[in-house]
Amino acid sequence: MSLPMYYFLSITAVYILMSWALYLPYRVAHLHFLTVANMAISGYFAGYMVMSLHVPLGIAIITGFITGGIVGFIISLFMGDAPTFAVVIVGFTFIYITRTVVENTKAVGGTLGLFGIPSLFGNPSLHRWAILIILYFLVLIVGFLIYRFDHSRLGRAASAIFVDKDLARSFGVDVKKMGILLQTFSSTIAGGCGVLYGFIYKSFNLDYFTFSLIGIFMTVIFVGGYTTQWGVVAAAPVLYGVPLLFPPAIASWRIVIYGALLILVLVLKPKGFITREFVYKIERGGKNGFRFGRNKKINDCRS
Amino acid sequence: MEVFIAQIINGLSLGSIYVLLVTGFNLLLIVAMIIHFSYPQVVVFSMYIAWMVMKFTNNSIILAIAAAVGSAIIMNLISAPLFQKVMKKREGVDINTTMVLSLGIGMIITDILSHGFNEGLPIAFPENIVGDKSVIEIGLISVSNGQIYTLVVGIIAVSGLFWLLYRTRPGRAFRAIAEDPNGAKLVGLPLFKTALASYAVTGVLGGVTAILLAVLLGTTSPGMGEQVANKVLAVSIIAGLGNLTGGLVVGLLLGILEAVVQGYISGSWANAIAFVVMLVVILFKPKGLFGMKL
Repeated sequence: MSLPMYYFLSITAVYILMSWALYLPYRVAHLHFLTVANMAISGYFAGYMVMSLHVPLGIAIITGFITGGIVGFIISLFMGDAPTFAVVIVGFTFIYITRTVVENTKAVGGTLGLFGIPSLFGNPSLHRWAILIILYFLVLIVGFLIYRFDHSRLGRAASAIFVDKDLARSFGVDVKKMGILLQTFSSTIAGGCGVLYGFIYKSFNLDYFTFSLIGIFMTVIFVGGYTTQWGVVAAAPVLYGVPLLFPPAIASWRIVIYGALLILVLVLKPKGFITREFVYKIERGGKNGFRFGRNKKINDCRS
Repeated sequence: MEVFIAQIINGLSLGSIYVLLVTGFNLLLIVAMIIHFSYPQVVVFSMYIAWMVMKFTNNSIILAIAAAVGSAIIMNLISAPLFQKVMKKREGVDINTTMVLSLGIGMIITDILSHGFNEGLPIAFPENIVGDKSVIEIGLISVSNGQIYTLVVGIIAVSGLFWLLYRTRPGRAFRAIAEDPNGAKLVGLPLFKTALASYAVTGVLGGVTAILLAVLLGTTSPGMGEQVANKVLAVSIIAGLGNLTGGLVVGLLLGILEAVVQGYISGSWANAIAFVVMLVVILFKPKGLFGMKL
């Protein structure tokens, strides 16, 4: 496999996983930017374990998930039912604190970062295949779990919280527990992704975990559509892949392009391109042999 | 003790900048009902515009001030229709959508500054605008002209804004909408026009803040907007979203905290400590110390 293809496939998988990590807490209207800080915390911790303690990469990846989960769980105990803006600011603040700590800690390379992460199985080619298999296995597992969540009573409870927190409480939904569950799950995914993100590039650098990354994930979610998990799957390859085809002079402005796209979609198509209604239509259409044209009204009524 | 007093003076001038930013932010929140997270990025953009104007006009301060204020007003007014469009209903604050939109605007501003100005490198303002001349010196305590300008103009600007809010008819309209948008609509107040006026007023405040930052710091960089935006939102949350008086107190306190910590600990750690303090307060009091005014 060529190197550009490897990077395209692996980074797309990370984008999908990380956008899902943002999608999950957003089911209860939380913009949980702690995910990016968690990527950095878990990534650097795993990097330190591999480089300084010579821990095998597999164990480092598992540690990344656990670290992310623990950090997310502790913070969610405070932020489980906090207002959206408070969750946002906690995420941003954590990014600054993490960056400062890393910049001033020699054990993790300071501003230079950690370089020379060894390959899995000691072979660069096998390393790439292994990373891809792990990433896409994770995409399948996480995707399945989110699908089950969305189609369960918990998913409906999350939708109720998104629409009206107080109303959801009056129906007996435990808003705080739901917030804790989703934030912890989200942070666990982010922790693992942070480690794998560094292992893709075989290095950890603070430039990997910036505000631009939040912007990219947000664009993926809101352009793809935040009401279902499928929007992310459709948007991530397009949004990551298309700028790669641009000439370098234009590609360097990709954050401006993402920002403009995000604004355009919010203004013109607030729910993004793949909405829940669209998915219902496909599901119903599939069961009825995709009769969209003549029977559109009937399909609409059914959904 | 002298270091402590010197840092308190530094903190007051820095705090007055935060107060200006938080006041603008809160005004937009209570009148236009948006969380304009990228408002500080608009301010940093205005600093760049002022720098450009000075570069091409032989360091004219008057034109730089006009350019900063003008660009902040224009940027705010350009974003106004976008915010109004995405708000689902005028009656309530659609915090999520307006915040995401604002983050999008911030992404664009920061990246334009990173690519389009001075090759992304930090900019330094000409000497004639930077207030680094020591005016008062007592032992280790040194007060620069920049600090005095910032403090005086900050007090005048915030007093002016409070005068506008509590002593004029447009101010009464602002407060009426903040108190009860439906009631304000019933008595015939034009919601959109009033909201637009709040964008313009915060634009003026933003332009003034941009100049004060140039005077106080003498330099800026594309990433500064994000960092300040984070602090402004944090101050606003700690004070209680939309609480103008609370913002005033917490803004000044943050400035003093940052300055005092900087007096004893090296730069980057000082910033981190300020963030840790903010984080702890937000974790334990996510709805603010003074109560939300939404």
